[in-house]
Amino acid sequence: MKLAGHLFLAAVMLFLIGPFVIICFAGLSAGESLAFPPEGLSLRWVIRVFEIESFRSSFALSLALGIGATLFALILGIPAAYALARYDVPGGEAIRNVLTAPIIVPGIIVGLALLRHLVIPSGLGVRLALFLAHSALLIPYAVRVVSASLENLRPDIEEAAILLGTSRIGAFLRVTLPNIRNGIMAAFIIGFITSFNEVPASLFLTGPGVATLPVDMLLYMEFNFDPSIAALSGLLALMSLTVVLVAERLLGLSHYV
Amino acid sequence: MTDTRRAGLMLIAPATLFILVGFLLPVGVLLSGAFRTDAGWSLGNFVEFFTTPLYLDVFFRTFRLGLTVTAVAAVLGYITAIAITETSPSWRGRLVALLVLPLMISPVARTYAWLVILGRTGFLNTALQTVGLTDEPLRILFTETAVFIGLIQLFFPLMVLPLLSSLENLPRDVIPAGRVLGASWFAIFWRVILPLTREGLVVGGTLTFVGSLTAYVTPAILGGSKVLMLETLLYQRVSVANDYASAGVIAVILIAMSIATNFLLKRIATTRRAAR
Repeated sequence: MKLAGHLFLAAVMLFLIGPFVIICFAGLSAGESLAFPPEGLSLRWVIRVFEIESFRSSFALSLALGIGATLFALILGIPAAYALARYDVPGGEAIRNVLTAPIIVPGIIVGLALLRHLVIPSGLGVRLALFLAHSALLIPYAVRVVSASLENLRPDIEEAAILLGTSRIGAFLRVTLPNIRNGIMAAFIIGFITSFNEVPASLFLTGPGVATLPVDMLLYMEFNFDPSIAALSGLLALMSLTVVLVAERLLGLSHYV
Repeated sequence: MTDTRRAGLMLIAPATLFILVGFLLPVGVLLSGAFRTDAGWSLGNFVEFFTTPLYLDVFFRTFRLGLTVTAVAAVLGYITAIAITETSPSWRGRLVALLVLPLMISPVARTYAWLVILGRTGFLNTALQTVGLTDEPLRILFTETAVFIGLIQLFFPLMVLPLLSSLENLPRDVIPAGRVLGASWFAIFWRVILPLTREGLVVGGTLTFVGSLTAYVTPAILGGSKVLMLETLLYQRVSVANDYASAGVIAVILIAMSIATNFLLKRIATTRRAAR
């Protein structure tokens, strides 16, 4: 029974993790076309990834978008989470539903709605539309993770700071904020990864030369069957692995997921 | 209105207004468009959609794949979660980390790997032919099987993790007690484990089901235009034909499914709290 269980677990983990190993090796191929086992090992396709201009610009866009949209979602989300946790806000439950609504709407509908009813009528730039869409999608995560940290923090230490003569804002900045710092960092990392990997909402919000990295990869693989996407996928997997390992070491990210 | 209530509203207003105006308004306008034709308000778009054989195919395929992925993930998920609870705590931590890790990696990268494995000259076909199991390469890519495999791999962790956490809350002695009383493994699972872990199953099941219904990347890469699902059909209708009527109908179907399952989740979560 025990042995069967272990063998089953090994098979499951092979199914989940095996494809990443395969794609890393396929990306290290020395050959012309995508294959596993690869025809010899080399770094030529890894180097090629950095030479493809559209990957460079879409990577830069995804990076800026991930950081910008996550920061904006936190700037809007932290005060909202704070108000929900500490004040008796009229209609609090309804507001909470509005704030978490973006998680329920499938991404592709968000992209199409913003394209048709915001970008086209108002002549808004595609980059700004991407920023709005990603920010809206990330606000629920920001509110949820920050709310969880606030619930674990006793409100009376703030009251104590106020009794000792600080203003409410001073108490928030000097007492509350440092105590929920780990939660905010966790929300930032989760938000960044979500934005960076997001496809459906960004799909319609592309323009000439403007696409996020995953959308650009989808466009590229329609016409090319060389190992460069495999090499790029391997690099992205390594990047996620590094971010998650560092975050786990520093904050214990798994408590927040 | 007291000062604290006003302060609370001031803090919460920016985020709420942003989502209302920048998000819910455009989505609402898009959805309402599905109920309009040139003749004004009508259900004409829905009649049109549900009488077109191709669209009906896609509709049923999406639900069929969603249900089979969820059912298979649930069965394999229980076996996996039970096997994990029987390992030592340090191994449990490592296995959970291996389950969480794929969730952090780009779905495009995760799905692309299957292209390398399942393609005509891919790893699987090469291996099968080398061993001599088949003479001709199997056609797996661009079939429902390929999409099924991709979706299972994508959503399996989301099924196992909630199952695992409800199994860990199971009272320690229930399984040995059942064994002592002479119950078979099947009876223990069916009459003890399943009722006590129903919550985890519901959470994992809805995440997997809604996730599969609204998946874009997996059917786009592994199914192509041969195995369309609702999201890939929506994208195709808009980008190829500017057909916003069908797109609106698909949007209404997807969002209705998503809201219904999330509502169900919330109901189950609140009845649990009431029962305590």
